[in-house]
Amino acid sequence: MNKNPLSIIVGVVLLAVFIVLLFVFQVRQSEVAIVTRFGAPHRAAAPGPHFRLPWPIEKVYKFDQRIQNFEDKLTEDLTADNNNLLTQVYIGWRITEPQVFFPKFANGSVTEAEKVLEGMLRSAKSAVIGKHALSDFVSAGGGSQFARIEQEMLALMQAQLRANSYGIAVEFLGLKKLGLPESVTQSVFDRMKSEREVLSSRLEAEGNAEAEKIKSRATSEAAKLLANAEREATRIRAQGEAAAAAVLPTFQQNPELANFLLRLNALEASLKERSTLIFDASTPPFDLFRGGSTNLLRK
Amino acid sequence: MERSIQKNGLVNLLVLAAAAVVTFALARLGLALGALVASVFMGLGALVALVSWFQMRLEDRERVERLEYDELLRAKSGSSLFEGRDEGGFPARQSREQFEKWFVPGFTVALMAAQGAGAWLLWRWLAQPATLAPLQQPMVTLSMLGLVALILFLLGKFSSTIARLENHRLLRPAATHLLLGAYLAVLAAVGVAGVELFGAPRLDLVVAQALAVLLGIAAVETALGLILEIYRPRVQGRVAQPLYESRLLGLLARPEDVFTTAAHTFDYQFGFKVSDTWAFQFFRKALGWLLLAQLGVLLLSTTLVFIEPGERGLLERWGKPVAARAELAPGLHFKWPFPIDRVHRFHTERVQVFTVGSQPDPDKAKQPVVLWNLAHAKEELLLVANRDRASVDAANRDTGRQTPPVSLLTVSFPVHYTISDLRAFAYHHRDSGRLLQNLATREVIQYLASSDIGDVMARSRQEAADLLQQRIQTAVDAVQPALGVKVNYIGLQEIHPPVSVAGEFQKVVGATQKKQAAILAAEALAIRAQATADANAFKAVAEAEADRTRAEVNAGAGAALFTNQLPAYAAAPSYYVQRAYLQTFAKSVAPVRKYIVVATNTQEVIQFDLQDRLRADLLDVTIPK
Repeated sequence: MNKNPLSIIVGVVLLAVFIVLLFVFQVRQSEVAIVTRFGAPHRAAAPGPHFRLPWPIEKVYKFDQRIQNFEDKLTEDLTADNNNLLTQVYIGWRITEPQVFFPKFANGSVTEAEKVLEGMLRSAKSAVIGKHALSDFVSAGGGSQFARIEQEMLALMQAQLRANSYGIAVEFLGLKKLGLPESVTQSVFDRMKSEREVLSSRLEAEGNAEAEKIKSRATSEAAKLLANAEREATRIRAQGEAAAAAVLPTFQQNPELANFLLRLNALEASLKERSTLIFDASTPPFDLFRGGSTNLLRK
Repeated sequence: MERSIQKNGLVNLLVLAAAAVVTFALARLGLALGALVASVFMGLGALVALVSWFQMRLEDRERVERLEYDELLRAKSGSSLFEGRDEGGFPARQSREQFEKWFVPGFTVALMAAQGAGAWLLWRWLAQPATLAPLQQPMVTLSMLGLVALILFLLGKFSSTIARLENHRLLRPAATHLLLGAYLAVLAAVGVAGVELFGAPRLDLVVAQALAVLLGIAAVETALGLILEIYRPRVQGRVAQPLYESRLLGLLARPEDVFTTAAHTFDYQFGFKVSDTWAFQFFRKALGWLLLAQLGVLLLSTTLVFIEPGERGLLERWGKPVAARAELAPGLHFKWPFPIDRVHRFHTERVQVFTVGSQPDPDKAKQPVVLWNLAHAKEELLLVANRDRASVDAANRDTGRQTPPVSLLTVSFPVHYTISDLRAFAYHHRDSGRLLQNLATREVIQYLASSDIGDVMARSRQEAADLLQQRIQTAVDAVQPALGVKVNYIGLQEIHPPVSVAGEFQKVVGATQKKQAAILAAEALAIRAQATADANAFKAVAEAEADRTRAEVNAGAGAALFTNQLPAYAAAPSYYVQRAYLQTFAKSVAPVRKYIVVATNTQEVIQFDLQDRLRADLLDVTIPK
């Protein structure tokens, strides 16, 4: 088995791979590396293959040189007009000088770097938010000044980083979240409810008022219509009376008879409805029962 | 010699126990996870060593007892003193048999339970995010682990070698654990070195997780050993292998003995020489060659890469993109073997989705309806402006609190995107997807913070989605260096007031409907009133016209009748009057109820009950003819 050429070739290849892994390291396009020799930074390595002495003589620390995202916690600050505002900010940062970055943050720990960035960000945020009123953040009709606020925070961050030379740069910054503390949120909820209640009441009142107007208008129109109709009816009846008056002289020829006939008509008309009459025997023709007027019967 | 095996067993026990304690202390002080799991293995190994040492003592006592018995037999040859000696006469042998019959299986069950429980608890503990803490004094941990490994290895090799001697088999379980402990200490050291020296922060955790899995596998193997022991053929005179001895751990501790171990296992389990078969011997000879060929094939396989549909690959040589063919399309590609060329795959065609604002809640996804006033997502409240300052002030007066002129809304925008520039996506930003999410969130909150709540609620949803898509794409395009993504779609999934105030908003909608209903009811009433008035007016006029006609006609007719009556009256005034009277009287009085009083006694008082009967009396009933 040991003399099998295939085994020897494979063994040699494996050995070569092992040696390559031991003495060569590669840095990806997205990375940058610092090589330390006996713990002291020795050189930086750009993307590509590089020779190294095996551990523990040389040790390679690789860093991501792309832009990295960092988001701070949602923190509470006071605006210039004394409103409590919660904000969260994201930043894009990158390692610009790995030789400077490496010794500053415990063997180039990104976690440590982000802790420092978080502190700076919090400081910059508080400073900038304290200079602006709430309406600079939240305002209808173009009143909000997001871009300006972000630019001010970014400028403060960059100034602090330049002053301290951490080997990192912040490329951009943006507000990611705006909020209100829980107690204020509850108050806003209450106010929103009140607004809606006012709106509901207003709408219902407007509806009732409009309905009343419509009903009153309709009643008025109906009354006018009826009044006009009554007027017209009266006028028409008057015309009838006038026409009837033209024949009255005819009755003047014998007013006594006319009145008698008129009474007879009235008698007939008045007894059309349900009536009860009590007659004594003297009322014609019931006087026939008494015989007083029945001279003709005696004959 | 017999005393020597007991001494070796005791040394193995003490060294394993000490190694377990030291490794555990190192793990706790140095926060090394791999070392902690290794210490559990060593502790269990110490228990195994304790039991095997005790078993050695019992077997030793039995040998002494047998020697004494043989000596007595020779001295009292021919005597009948011991001829009838029964089993009760060998207490040491009985003790050993009882021990093997009861204690060893019981201990093995306990060992299996400890291994299983240990694996489960360790796995759960390792899965907690807080478990992975920065290492403390890693170089000290490394050095001490190396020392522990060296001591365990030397003692383990020694014990393993002498365990091959006859009657030394009980040294083998402890030797296995000594060697295994040495290798695990090296593995734990590799984990620490990976974190500290080779920039692999999770290597220690991965080593610990792998060892926890191994502990679980050992528990399964112990359980299987217990089951197989029931069915193992008992061959007369064959010495039983200790039940608590793990073949799997033995294989790991002595990989050079893989075939010997396997052969012993098969022979032991099946009761005949499996290891003498042709196939077994062939694999024994060819194993090395096969393993090397396998490794060679593995290395060669790294020269081929298959890019799946919907994917693209970034080909890097020594970490740098290969200029001529940096991006690999779907299909088969050749490359230099690992570690020269490496391919990183990306799903360039796949639509990737994230949600801005309220996130979908899987627990509430099964709700049949989605209502504003019922929580249906992980609600995130976003600030929106309130232009109507008067209403804010009025509400503040009502509630007696001073709240800022803002309102809160719940929105949910799913954003779909694809990778448009792979190299930019891979090399410009560490997490382009996350940055896109941040940019999209920023645009959404900025849009809401600069909009009035009334406008947002009333505005066309599609219009808002289009506007936001445009703004997000503009923001993405403005990022330098480029993100390499294209926003394909933004859907305005929901936008409504928070759950706790949604009911009030719904009441406003209800109030709007009530208003409309009241107006419509009034309009209906007005229409009815108008129609009735029209009809009444028409009726009044028509009646008046009829009255007029009646008056004219009656007047004319009356005049004509009177003109004709005058001659008749003139001819017989009295008769005419009487006739007219009586005709009219008869006609008029006919339908009327009449009472005619014809009594002559005028002093008599006559009472009439002129009340109408409500119900018909019997007397009123008409008798049919």
